[in-house]
Amino acid sequence: MENAIELRDLTMGYGNHTILRNLYLNIKVGEFVSIFGENGAGKTTLFKGILQLLPIMKGNIKIFNVDVTKSNEKTWLRSQIGYVPQRHNQGNFPITVFEATLLGRWGSSFSYFKKPSAEDKEVAKDILQLVDLSHLSHQDCRRLSGGQIQRLNIARALARHPRILLLDEPNTHLDIESQQKLDNILHSIRKEYHLSILMISHDQLHTRRVSDRVVHLRNGTFQKDLELVI
Amino acid sequence: MTLLEFFKVPIFQRALIGAIIAGGTISLLGIVIVVFNMTTLRFALMHFGLLGGAIGLSLGANPLTAAITAIAIGSLLFGPLSDKFKLDTGIIGGFFMTGSIAVAFLLFYKAGVPALDVFSLFTGSILTLTNSDIVFVAVLGLIILTTYFTFFREIQLIFYDAEQAEWLGVPAQKIRNGLLFLTGLAIGVAMKIVGALLIDALILLSAMAAMRIAKNFKQLLVITSLLGMLTTTGGLLLSMVMDLPTGATITLTGVTFLLISIMIPTK
Repeated sequence: MENAIELRDLTMGYGNHTILRNLYLNIKVGEFVSIFGENGAGKTTLFKGILQLLPIMKGNIKIFNVDVTKSNEKTWLRSQIGYVPQRHNQGNFPITVFEATLLGRWGSSFSYFKKPSAEDKEVAKDILQLVDLSHLSHQDCRRLSGGQIQRLNIARALARHPRILLLDEPNTHLDIESQQKLDNILHSIRKEYHLSILMISHDQLHTRRVSDRVVHLRNGTFQKDLELVI
Repeated sequence: MTLLEFFKVPIFQRALIGAIIAGGTISLLGIVIVVFNMTTLRFALMHFGLLGGAIGLSLGANPLTAAITAIAIGSLLFGPLSDKFKLDTGIIGGFFMTGSIAVAFLLFYKAGVPALDVFSLFTGSILTLTNSDIVFVAVLGLIILTTYFTFFREIQLIFYDAEQAEWLGVPAQKIRNGLLFLTGLAIGVAMKIVGALLIDALILLSAMAAMRIAKNFKQLLVITSLLGMLTTTGGLLLSMVMDLPTGATITLTGVTFLLISIMIPTK
C-alpha cells in the first residue's frame, strides 16, 4: 500500500541545536497514527518539518512519494495537508463560524481579487454539518466553547479537501464530553474523506483510544520498544 | 457665532472635511492595534513622533512634518526588528519609547526650544489644518480604504489566525508590516488633529467600541468607520457650539461612545 507520509533519517532542529534525530516512520494511506510524547519532545518541530515551515538538517520527508524537502511545490503540499494548529482560545476578533471555515479554502479556489464562489460556500456548509456546527454558522467565534473551537479548527483544515490531516494536541483543555464528541467526529471524517491522520499529543490514553498506531517520541527519537499497535 | 455661521469659515470647513475623512478612515487602523495587541507599540510610535517633532523644532523645520517622518521610519523599523530578533513588538516599542523621549527632552533643552512650541506638539488642533494637510489626510484615507477592500479576506485571515494564514500562503508578515506602516502615518496625522497625548481618541477608541458590538469583519469595519466619523465631527461641532478645546472634546466624544458600547449587553 502507498505511504501517505514517509520519514527517512529525519534530523531537525533550530540553528545548531538538534531537536529530532534520525527518525524513520511510514504512515500508510488511510492510517491514523499518533505520536505521543511529553512537552518539549519535539512533536511540534516534526509538524513544522512536514509542513515545510522549518528546514530539515538531514534525511527527507515524502508526502505521497514526493520528497517535499527537495521540491518547491508548496501549493501542492497545501492541497494535500490539512493542518489543525494547537489553538484553543477564541481570540478577540469578530468572525462568524461560517466565515472562519470558508477562509480555510483561501489559496485553493479563491484569493486576492477572486471572491469565494457558490461552490466554496457549499463546501463550507457541508463541512460544518459534518463537525456538527451548522446550527452555529452565524455565531461569532468569540462565543464558542473550547470543544466547538477545536471542531471549527478541524472544519477549516478540511475545507480544502486534503488527503492528510495533521492534528496538534486537539484534545488539550477539553472536558470529557467535548473529547468524546471530538473523537466521534475524527472517526466520521476519517471515513468520509478517506483521510490519513497524524496526531501529536501528550495524552497517551487518548492516542491509544483513537489511533491505529501510537509511536512514542522521547528526547528527539522514536522509542521503538514502546510502539503500540492497537 | 451660530453653528451655521461656522460653516462659512474656511478654517472650520477644512477642519470639518479633515474630521470626516480622518474619523472615517484612520479609525480603521485602530483595529490593527487592538487585534495585534500593539498598544505599547502605538505608544512608542507616538514618542518617536515627539522625537521627530523635537528634531524639527531644534532645526527650525516644521515640527509636524518631522514628527510624521520619524513615525513613518519608526513604523518601518518596528515590524522587521521584532521579526528579526524574535522580540515582542512591545519590548522593541518600550526600548524606543524611553530612548526617544529622553533624546527629545535633551534636544529641547540644548536647542532652547520655547515651552509653548513643545506644548503645541502635545495638544495639536484640527483647526490648524492646511490645504496640503487635507490632501495628505485624503490620500492616506484612500490608501487605508483601498488596502482593506483589496486584501479584505487576507487581512481577515491574518487577524483571525496569523499562523494558519502563513501556512495557507498569505504573505502575513508583509501585510502586517504594511498595516503597521500605515498606522504610523495615521499616528502622525492624529498628532496634528488631537495632539500627541490624545491620539487614542482618533485611532483606538472607535475600534475598541466596534470590537464589542460587531459580529463579523464587515460589521467591524463599518461600525468603526461610522463611530470614528461621529467622534471627530461630533467632537468638533460640540467644541464650536460650547466653546471648548477641540482635541479634548473629540476625545471625550470618543470616550462616551466607548462607554455606551461597554454598557450594551453582548449576546
